[in-house]
Amino acid sequence: MVTRKQVLFLLLFVLFIAEGTILPLLIPSGWHMRISANLVYIVILFIAVYHHRHTALVLGIFFGLLHDVVFYGEMIGPYGFSMGLSAYMMGLIFQAPRAPLPVMVSVVILGSLLNDTMLFFLYKLFQLNHVTFDWALLEYMIPNLFVHFVFALIIYVPLRKQLERIGKRRSKTEEAS
Amino acid sequence: MFELFKLLGNKRLFVLLVGLVTFIALMGFTLSPRTTLSWPEKFLKDSVGFVQYVFYKPASYVAGFFKDVANMRTVYQENEELRIAMGHYTRDRLKYNDMEQVNEQLQKALNFTEEQKNRYNYGSRIAQVISANSDPNSRTINIDIGENAGIKPGMAVTSQEGLVGVISHVSSYTSTVNLLTSMDANDPTSNAIAATAVGKEKVFGMIESYDPKTGMLKMTKISEDSNIQEDDEIISSGIINNFPKYMRIGKVKSVEKSEYGLTKTATIEPYASFLDWKELIVIIPPEVKE
Repeated sequence: MVTRKQVLFLLLFVLFIAEGTILPLLIPSGWHMRISANLVYIVILFIAVYHHRHTALVLGIFFGLLHDVVFYGEMIGPYGFSMGLSAYMMGLIFQAPRAPLPVMVSVVILGSLLNDTMLFFLYKLFQLNHVTFDWALLEYMIPNLFVHFVFALIIYVPLRKQLERIGKRRSKTEEAS
Repeated sequence: MFELFKLLGNKRLFVLLVGLVTFIALMGFTLSPRTTLSWPEKFLKDSVGFVQYVFYKPASYVAGFFKDVANMRTVYQENEELRIAMGHYTRDRLKYNDMEQVNEQLQKALNFTEEQKNRYNYGSRIAQVISANSDPNSRTINIDIGENAGIKPGMAVTSQEGLVGVISHVSSYTSTVNLLTSMDANDPTSNAIAATAVGKEKVFGMIESYDPKTGMLKMTKISEDSNIQEDDEIISSGIINNFPKYMRIGKVKSVEKSEYGLTKTATIEPYASFLDWKELIVIIPPEVKE
């Protein structure tokens, strides 16, 4: 039981690896330019809602910075900043251990839009992208949204169960102390 | 004033502001062209790169198998085309060998220095793709060779079809390729590529930016009296920034007059497709002796 958290963390890392290696091979080539799914971020949103927003903040910054360093094209930092902050904000507003599926789905939708928007404007700030926001919204943010939505539906049941177990154990140790 | 203190007294907001400033500073610092990475970055890139390599290889084999089955029908046609290309190659090789010998003799007669002789003798290294970043804001891929194979930032990377991108950062065993799709003339770190057309080497132009909306490259600063046409094959000319010569880039789709009418602008369809990554080739320029 002690290792449940660590195993979840390792699984998250495996998901990060799969996102860069296996996912590009699965996407049909016509959609290659339009889908850039950020699956780790969706899991972090789950953690923000069902566990705690601070955990989500730390995980968001960690995996964001990892993404930035591993795929260092232009600069380091945008992913770390946007994933950490947007997961924290979603947790601040929606954190509820008993949130039902519709709430979680709307968190995923809002969160993925928030993250993509934040990234778009960070790159805009440093003059690294030159497209308009409405084009970007239609071109990749909304297709992304659908992928995130489907992924959230797939992981909803198993992930929530695991997070609730971690939560229960935490409350038990709090009572004991 | 009191309001402001009350606001700052809010711990959450204070931490947020500090975080914002730190991250903006980090982004600004890492945006400037850095030639080497610090050791934590190298360590992370190498260790994650190794894991990615372990994952990518079997996955790409499986994906490749299904693609091969799907492409079975086109194999005959492709074979036909390859035979024709082979015929051209054998004929041209004889001519090329002869011309190379003549060229060498002439270089000797004109007392070329060793550096001048070897200027265009590019080496190449084959590299395996280990992961791809599909972030539309900055698309990059990682390959499995780095400093250990003598890779340096700024080297050109091509696929079998054509130029794919430029090495942006190198760690000990992996390196990151910045794709041509993130190229833009207004970028703070933009590097335009000098280009010319095959058979019309007097044509000069700069490949400056990629338009994500149409998927085309833009070649600017072509002089007005040059005879560039549709379907011309565009290659790099190697005049600027030590960028290698003879890299296939794309085909001219259309030529227009530029905004002020003094030069021409060509739209170029890139040969490389920027998807289906497997093997890439890194072009290594000859060592320059001090």
